Amino acid sequence: MDEEPERAKRWEGGYERTWEVLKEDESGSLKATVEEILFQSKRKRVIESHEQVRLGMMRHLYVVIDCSRSMEDQDLKPNRLTSTLKLMEAFVDEYFDQNPISQVCLHRNPKKHIAALKKAVDTVCVGEPSLYNSLNQALQSLKHMPGHTSREILIILSSLTTCDPANIYELIKTLKSLKVRVSVIGLSAEVRVCTVLTRETGGLYHVILDESHFKELLMMHVKPPPASSSSECSLIRMGFPQHTVAALTDQDAKPSFSMSHLDSSSGPGLSLGGYFCPQCHAKYTELPVECKVCGLTLVSAPHLARSFHHLFPLQAFVESPLEELQGDRYCQACQGELKDKSIFTCTSCHSVFCVECDVFIHDTLHCCPCCIHSQVTPL
Amino acid sequence: MKLNIEGLLVYFPYDYIYPEQYSYMLELKRTLDAKGHGVLEMPSGTGKTISLLSLIIAYQRAFPLEVTKLIYCSRTVPEIEKVIEELRKLMEFYSKETGESNNFLALALSSRKNLCIHPEVSSLRFGKEVDGKCHSLTASYIRAQRHSNPNLPVCRFYEEFDAVGRQVPLPPGVYNLDDLKDFGRRKGWCPYYLARYSILHANIVVYSYHYLLDPKIADLVSKELAKKSVVVFDEAHNIDNVCIDSMSVNITRRTLDRCQNNVDTLQNTIHKIKETDAAKLREEYRRLVEGLKEANVARETDIYLANPVLPDEILQEAVPGTIRTAEHFVGFLRRFLEYLKSRLRVQHVVQESAPQFLKDIFDKVCIDRKPLRFCAERLQSLLRTLEIADIADFSAVTLISNFATLVSTYSQGFTIIIEPFEDRTPTIANPVLHFSCMDPSIAIKPVFQRFQSVIITSGTLSPLDIYPRILDFRPVTMASFTMTLARTCLCPLIVGRGNDQVALSSKFETREDFAVIRNYGNLLLEMSAIVPDGIVAFFTSYVYMENIVASWYEQGILENIQRNKLIFIETQDAAETSMALEKYQEACENGRGAILLSVARGKVSEGIDFVHHFGRAVIMFGVPYVYTQSRILKARLEYLRDQFQIRENDFLTFDAMRHAAQCVGRAIRGKTDYGLMIFADKRYARADKRGKLPRWIQEHINDGSLNLTVDEAVQLAKHFLRQMAQPFRQVRSTPATKGTEQVSTFVVWKGRWRHGYRCLNLAFQSQQLNNFVA
Repeated sequence: MDEEPERAKRWEGGYERTWEVLKEDESGSLKATVEEILFQSKRKRVIESHEQVRLGMMRHLYVVIDCSRSMEDQDLKPNRLTSTLKLMEAFVDEYFDQNPISQVCLHRNPKKHIAALKKAVDTVCVGEPSLYNSLNQALQSLKHMPGHTSREILIILSSLTTCDPANIYELIKTLKSLKVRVSVIGLSAEVRVCTVLTRETGGLYHVILDESHFKELLMMHVKPPPASSSSECSLIRMGFPQHTVAALTDQDAKPSFSMSHLDSSSGPGLSLGGYFCPQCHAKYTELPVECKVCGLTLVSAPHLARSFHHLFPLQAFVESPLEELQGDRYCQACQGELKDKSIFTCTSCHSVFCVECDVFIHDTLHCCPCCIHSQVTPL
Repeated sequence: MKLNIEGLLVYFPYDYIYPEQYSYMLELKRTLDAKGHGVLEMPSGTGKTISLLSLIIAYQRAFPLEVTKLIYCSRTVPEIEKVIEELRKLMEFYSKETGESNNFLALALSSRKNLCIHPEVSSLRFGKEVDGKCHSLTASYIRAQRHSNPNLPVCRFYEEFDAVGRQVPLPPGVYNLDDLKDFGRRKGWCPYYLARYSILHANIVVYSYHYLLDPKIADLVSKELAKKSVVVFDEAHNIDNVCIDSMSVNITRRTLDRCQNNVDTLQNTIHKIKETDAAKLREEYRRLVEGLKEANVARETDIYLANPVLPDEILQEAVPGTIRTAEHFVGFLRRFLEYLKSRLRVQHVVQESAPQFLKDIFDKVCIDRKPLRFCAERLQSLLRTLEIADIADFSAVTLISNFATLVSTYSQGFTIIIEPFEDRTPTIANPVLHFSCMDPSIAIKPVFQRFQSVIITSGTLSPLDIYPRILDFRPVTMASFTMTLARTCLCPLIVGRGNDQVALSSKFETREDFAVIRNYGNLLLEMSAIVPDGIVAFFTSYVYMENIVASWYEQGILENIQRNKLIFIETQDAAETSMALEKYQEACENGRGAILLSVARGKVSEGIDFVHHFGRAVIMFGVPYVYTQSRILKARLEYLRDQFQIRENDFLTFDAMRHAAQCVGRAIRGKTDYGLMIFADKRYARADKRGKLPRWIQEHINDGSLNLTVDEAVQLAKHFLRQMAQPFRQVRSTPATKGTEQVSTFVVWKGRWRHGYRCLNLAFQSQQLNNFVA
């Protein structure tokens, strides 16, 4: 979400009390609070990572987006639906990036999701939502998933009401018995039934404060949830196809269709290179994917490796005031001067980082550059 | 946890204590030390009951001769049960800490309906039926008759209790109503009479207000309670009305008709008895000549609680000769009845004082004041003599005779209003004689006089100083405590304008104003879209609610609201209302969301708590003034002005604001709860109204939320609800209130949201408190 969301005219927007956040310091200056706010916004902390727990690495996630009347509300700009869908695009990208061997809505192809999301922007939001119906539908497909995968439903609920055809508490019991984990992100306020639903099924329930908080909450669901000890473990057959371009080995090679494009009319149909399933030699242009022919899960090794950092998260750096630092006041990563009032120290190599680098290391790199640097490589 | 409160060791059964609980106990202790009365306000959900109980019990243990008994008066049976449960917890804590079993006896008392275990009697549905049936089985003369005729029905539980129950006292412990019933079943004793007997030696008695305030019941149940008792009235914000109701009498034509039947029955019975057993009547006559000396002796020795219906002077005298014989008395009643009938045949409203009434009755039917005063006593005596089994049938004649005694006893503080029809239905003749008490202090006076400490407490007693004035007593302590909150969990908003800048108000002139009604509808509609689960909306009266709802229906607002939430309406029918309530809660529970439209001063506004999702927002449409055109109210206001120098407007505002506070207070029932409080009337913004709200609500009204438009309120509410929906794991609680600053005692306090102990010196200034984490 790089582009600034299209702002409504000031007078069309909601009534806000922007001045109340600011407080004067003793000398009557606002500088301190402004800086504090900026600092805090940078330091939206990575959620406390739990250590040494089994995580469900293969996830089956259903995302349910409420499209009822209340999605037209303009408290997220330009309205809740558009904003949600934009964030969902980012979410889908991030999700597949971090969980390459998982699925959203029983589908592995992020591009398709994004296309679908784009289309949905024009949906006219009407009527009341039904928590029951959506849960039930998701459940119908999820219950056939194998036991070693996680079954998750993420609901983005804007409405405060649900029109159900039957008693939802019965359904919650069913969900619980089938070990489906339901999480809810509320766009307006805490609704009782969601509290019960998430508490019973072991999911998370959060209500957004604003757009950036919304994004943060969504990203929280990118991380795989801890697996329950009762879920079965099993060994899974996986294929690791190499990318081969046919033209290099065989002059007579002709472009061929990828299996993944069979069911969609869009996209380039023919290509020379691709990944070939080690079992049946079906061709795919993208990984990860489940082989249409033989049902084998095809991934590449980096995918698996990327899933790994969830299991071995980087330790949170220790925050300390700048005054306590002896020696050079430079960030070890970006080499910039440390100006903020807090610094962050890696627990193992004691390198010092600034806020931006701390966030970057934890969110993107997942390993401390100084630790790696200091390791004597055996080669 | 053990606390040291000015040298008194108090056991407190929880690991943490809020600062306000500590200050509350401190004030309470000072009240007890001074042997005086107190008025204490503390918000609900802050552990008022347990603070009260632990301090008073500690006091009882420390000074067993100073305070012998705690009489805890609450309003409803569920509240009584709650108190008993807290008490049980406290007692368990005591025995765990001290290692010895204590010999405290605590019990709840309720009506026969809630305590009866007789298989036939307890299956009756109405309290009156149960009482009547019980009486017909256990009255002394019935049992005397049984000696001659063993075939008469009998209540074996009562017989068993009467035979052995009184010798063995109830073993120490805490008894709620069910415990008493169980105990009764095991022993085969009547739990009701057992409880009534046991309260005399119990250390703690928990029962309803009426057992102390209503002279008719108090005389039976509470008159022998020890003088050195502490009396607590919980939820006492309406205590003046309870007092007034217990002393007021309304007489309609139906009452008189039934009374006529009663008198006829009496006449017949007297005839019958005269033929069979004339000696009995002679015996009664003799007793009446001797007078009520016995009662007098008892009162002088201070054994009995004075009965306001039976004033002291009566006890000095014997029943006057004119009504001593049974026939004469019945004749007297007939005359009195005819007189009342003639008074009810009026075409216009009559208002007169008690002396005027007495003069008129003397002129018209030659009834003197003196025999009238003895009417109630004389009737009781006659009913006993005639061995009438079912007292319930004679309620009408009892009512009339009570009226006779009251009207002739009190020349002040009462007024008689005869209305030929109701104001709303001027065409239907329905004459009513209101004998209305205007002075609540009359009923409660014996209580203040008799018991050494009386504590009046509630979540909403502001402004505190008005209660001592209208109840006519001098408290030694008056204090109001606020809630210390870990987060601002209440959000009072005063909505004064609609989006079109039309002033919102329920005042009389704008009642019918279309724009106001539409804006009110708009407010509810917008709130229904942003508030999750349950909303409770209060109107000022049923009529107003009906008008508004009808109007909303025509404008289509209701239909729009129903898209967001279901709508339930409180009606005057109790069964219908409880049905609506049940469905309302169901709708809140399963996520559909619901709105309950109800009325301030109604059942919903007083007794029902809307915890958590059952009440995320309370909207008060208008200021709930009483119906000011009522003649009874006008008379009372006049009386208040003349006697207590309380201006009409002050009292009306006070009354309106206490009801408003009651209504909005329904939403917050504890510190983890949160809720919006929306006052939809521009008059709330005025200092005289706002200043009368309880301190714990007032604190959170800032200048920015005084005169909001609907839109502004919606934005604030949205923000508030999102804030509150964030996971609740704040460590720091807000610091102790000012009241505690003078105290120099160490208290161990355990932060509620965290497991570490922290030591808190309440004497520290508030800022130091936060740093003082051990």
